[in-house]
Amino acid sequence: MRTPGHPESEPGDDRAPRAAPDPVEVQIMAGALASACEEMGAVLIRSSHSANIKERHDCSAAVFDAHGEMVMQAEHIPVHLGSMPASVRAVIDREHRPGVSWFLNDPYAGGTHLPDITVVTPVFAGDRLIGFTANRAHHADVGGRVPGSMPADSRTLDEEGVVIAPRVLDEEAMAEVTGKMRQPEQRRADLRAQLAANRAGVTRIGALADRLGPDGLAAGMADVIAYAEQRTRARIETIPDGTYRAEDVLEGHAGDIPLVLEATVAGDAIRFDFTGSSGPDTGNLNCPRAVTESACYFAVRVLTDPDIPASAGAYRPVEVIVPEGSLLNASPPHAVVAGNVETSSRVADLCLAAFGRALGQGTMNNLTLGNDDFTYYETLGGGQAGGDDGPGPSAVHVAMSNTLNTPIEAMEIEFPLRAVEYSVRRGSGGEGANPGGDGIVREIEATTEMEYALLTERRRHRPPGGEGGGPGLAGLNLLRKDGSETRLEPKDAGRLEAGDRLRIETPGGGGYGHG
Amino acid sequence: MGELPEAGRGEPEGEAVILGVDVGGTFTDAVLATGGRIFTGKAPSTPSDQSEGVIAAIETVLERAGVGPEEVTHFAHGMTVATNALLESKGARTALIATRGFTDLVEIGRQSRASLYRLRAAHPPPLVPPELRIGVAERCGPDVVLEELSEAEVERVTEEVAALDVESVAICLLHSYRHPDHERRLGAAIDARFGEAHHVSLSHEVVGTFREYERAATTEIDAALSPLLGSYLDRLRVRGSEAGLPEPMIMQSSGGLTDLDNAAGHAALTVLSGPAGGAAAAMLISRLAEEPDLLCFDMGGTSCDVCVVEDGAVHETGSKRIAGRPLALPMVDIDTVGAGGGSIAWRDSGGALRVGPESAGADPGPACYGRGTRPTVTDANLILGRLEPDAPLAGGIRLDGERARRAIAGLADELGIEPDACAEGIVRVANAEMVRALRVVSVQRGLDPRRFTLLAFGGAGPLHATGIADELGIGRILVPRSGGVFSALGLAAANRRRDTVRSVMLAEADLDRATLADLAGDADEVGWDIRYRGQSFELTVTDPEAGRGTAPEPERLRRLFEDLHRERYGYADPGAEIELVTVRCRRTAPGPGFDAGPASDESHRGPATVDLGEATLHLPPGWSARGYRAGLLLVERG
Repeated sequence: MRTPGHPESEPGDDRAPRAAPDPVEVQIMAGALASACEEMGAVLIRSSHSANIKERHDCSAAVFDAHGEMVMQAEHIPVHLGSMPASVRAVIDREHRPGVSWFLNDPYAGGTHLPDITVVTPVFAGDRLIGFTANRAHHADVGGRVPGSMPADSRTLDEEGVVIAPRVLDEEAMAEVTGKMRQPEQRRADLRAQLAANRAGVTRIGALADRLGPDGLAAGMADVIAYAEQRTRARIETIPDGTYRAEDVLEGHAGDIPLVLEATVAGDAIRFDFTGSSGPDTGNLNCPRAVTESACYFAVRVLTDPDIPASAGAYRPVEVIVPEGSLLNASPPHAVVAGNVETSSRVADLCLAAFGRALGQGTMNNLTLGNDDFTYYETLGGGQAGGDDGPGPSAVHVAMSNTLNTPIEAMEIEFPLRAVEYSVRRGSGGEGANPGGDGIVREIEATTEMEYALLTERRRHRPPGGEGGGPGLAGLNLLRKDGSETRLEPKDAGRLEAGDRLRIETPGGGGYGHG
Repeated sequence: MGELPEAGRGEPEGEAVILGVDVGGTFTDAVLATGGRIFTGKAPSTPSDQSEGVIAAIETVLERAGVGPEEVTHFAHGMTVATNALLESKGARTALIATRGFTDLVEIGRQSRASLYRLRAAHPPPLVPPELRIGVAERCGPDVVLEELSEAEVERVTEEVAALDVESVAICLLHSYRHPDHERRLGAAIDARFGEAHHVSLSHEVVGTFREYERAATTEIDAALSPLLGSYLDRLRVRGSEAGLPEPMIMQSSGGLTDLDNAAGHAALTVLSGPAGGAAAAMLISRLAEEPDLLCFDMGGTSCDVCVVEDGAVHETGSKRIAGRPLALPMVDIDTVGAGGGSIAWRDSGGALRVGPESAGADPGPACYGRGTRPTVTDANLILGRLEPDAPLAGGIRLDGERARRAIAGLADELGIEPDACAEGIVRVANAEMVRALRVVSVQRGLDPRRFTLLAFGGAGPLHATGIADELGIGRILVPRSGGVFSALGLAAANRRRDTVRSVMLAEADLDRATLADLAGDADEVGWDIRYRGQSFELTVTDPEAGRGTAPEPERLRRLFEDLHRERYGYADPGAEIELVTVRCRRTAPGPGFDAGPASDESHRGPATVDLGEATLHLPPGWSARGYRAGLLLVERG
């Protein structure tokens, strides 16, 4: 079974089934490709300007074969897991020339949400196209109505920022696009860092092609993909056949939004069917298909073997069914900014819940602050779920994100903000034989006028436990102003005067097993 | 911190009697060099009190050399006391004092989980548990003090410390790299109240740079380990002085030596003392062989350490995770991969051949040691004829070739390949792991490995040297005839060194000549951590033309930064403003010079195996080796 959109093998091409890959060569090839991805990630992190990329590592790098199949990925955050191939698919049919890169962020043409800009660079051996390198980075701002481009209340994509349909990334395009964003110089610097990262990958893949010949490289890449597929199938096979169900809700502006999953395991393949979930959200909780797939792939990795290389092969045994135009397979012009960060968490939870797991905090607790002079975006960790393999860790990112925090001292040096408290929210984890982890308390004071936007989940509904474990505490968003305290909505936005404070208490994880 | 001794600079080689002692996992090696001759002594390591093994090894070497303890002019020591304590999370009962509202910094860390998909995987717990953390009412900002620390609060905190019954105290307040006064006052009050009974570590002294989590975690490690390390070094001092030896210098994580008192008071400085000794050996070899650029790999039984020597100096980093805990201090930049002689080869669920990270260790050891049954890298080398089957190992073990063959054949069967191909594959996969690590330390920094000479160390290093060189496109390899000797010699010959690191956060407009000169002080070498305004990582710029106590012009500093930025990342941003974030001052006094003896006149041509005593060099066809300077073998193609 295949996810629609993945190209089928054609007779005679290098992806057609071959003799079993050599057990030594495949391992050496996988290592070389992983090392190329790691190198790209290192160049990107070290040379970018956005705190999002540098301090928080909100970026990923991947290598693709000439057909646009992902061969290897170094993802720092899981939400990029399955969504990079869509970016390469979006440009694969264009005419490619050595050194000419593409960039895009259109969620409906290879992107996820607008702040994630992906740069794709073809790799050539002589005049033969032998693959692509690609990397994705979350930019601090891509224009749109609010600083940080993460509006809490957007209704259409255009409000969320500049939409970049796939196009060639040259100086002219860079100037044109970044000119519509805040801090255009920083944006250009980050894009240059993204180009530098892809160049590092191109050099490494080129060196592999020199050594193995273009055909040898293509065959090696195909072997790595087949290898990942085989390992994934072997693990799915150990899950009892049957149909597994879960239901949950998203905390929308106007009320709860239902989500439904029927997961079917049949032999060595797994199908996630979201039919019956909500139609499109009038707000920004919509997911492009690629984001929904990413969340499913995350769950598959958790449920199978995280050691399997992240490649197209690992996802071949996974089929995702989502009705066109629904919340989890959105279509233009719907707004999507929260789909990537929040709905994706809920989809991952749904997949894990179907298999009886307790759930973690289930949100990234997105906070954006800014005015005309600055933009600051952060996400907050919380409680992880307990499981049959131990208690849930406290104060960590639990699912689709794993970005680092911005150090308080770095934040205070650079932005008109002051941290008031940053502590573990003791007692917030669910009870159980293996209890859930605790959330975080974060209180920040504005030292000048600014706007804030909050995108959070699990404020109304507590993260459930599993196998008899208790739920974690729900999260809490508070505005402290002139000595009084106001409870804010899960998705909220407004204005802060100097001295006003936002206090965010993140959810605890669900416990596992009877305590 | 102690003053640096001026001794050693230009000292006549013949008069120095240098003694180095390196504590390893199994053996403690002592080496004594004097007048062109080198003597070695060995004793079993004594984990419960490493100083016993140290003194035993020294007694052996002094006797062999016929040298009295009082004749020793330079005595240096590398140890694993702090490393082991950290690996086992064993420290003194320690309190943490932090700005109110931020006492959980050490627990939250950077809020990332330990493993992306293993959801229960956890970071090591902080050395200070929540009940030993004290919040203090005070607050500094990046520019000004926002809330003064009152005397009453100092008194209250001191009382709270008294009630906790701790041996040691870590103090880390926000923005103390800029405003150290509050930490100092709290530290002084605790000193005044408890005196010698409590160790105190102040974050601005231990680390001195911004980014509170890394500073707090390092300070916590310093506080928790210093009482332990202090009592070990006291025992060593007493035993050494009873034996008539001079006081030893201690190897720091930076690869430089410090005096015993400074090491005893700041355990965080010596967490990587052991591996830094290996790096010091690499620098010594670089100097003796006149090979400025070396890629080094030290492959032992369970793992392989890799590092880069460029221009005679080992690469350093200002921050690294050790055993899952961050240490924000200058240290040799060594990466470790789980590829060693004992690494177990296995077939994964996708049918691929994998090597490590699981290791057969010393017990049961590789199959050919006679107890284990699972195939290891050593077994593969044996059946490929790269190890002499009759060579006796340490402890009198003889290699059991039949056992190795059975183990490899079993795996080959599972994989559906021939045993020889399987053995060959095990070596290649292990090599690929090490190559990847060597790439991480070189290519990612913009260095081309092909222009380096490979230095192969450790019990298994020389076996894999040519295979790794082939992969990296390197044509020149150095192999020490006795790696253990070099580790101990490297210690004794290392520079004395003291680092002070401080975050200053100066905008480009504030950088003038006088300010820079003031920051450089009388340092021998200054690293300037600079970034474009808005970037959140810095590049460390050094001015190759700056001598002791001189600082570059601001314009030159900018140019050096942009050159480096371009070299590392392929672009510079001439329109962007820069800022000076941190200044790293290093004061050094060179170690003693000595004569490591003449080159041997041996030569070997592949295919051959060369017995090096502690290791075996494998020379495939197309490679040859000859005796080189200072007891080294030079291995080249041809």
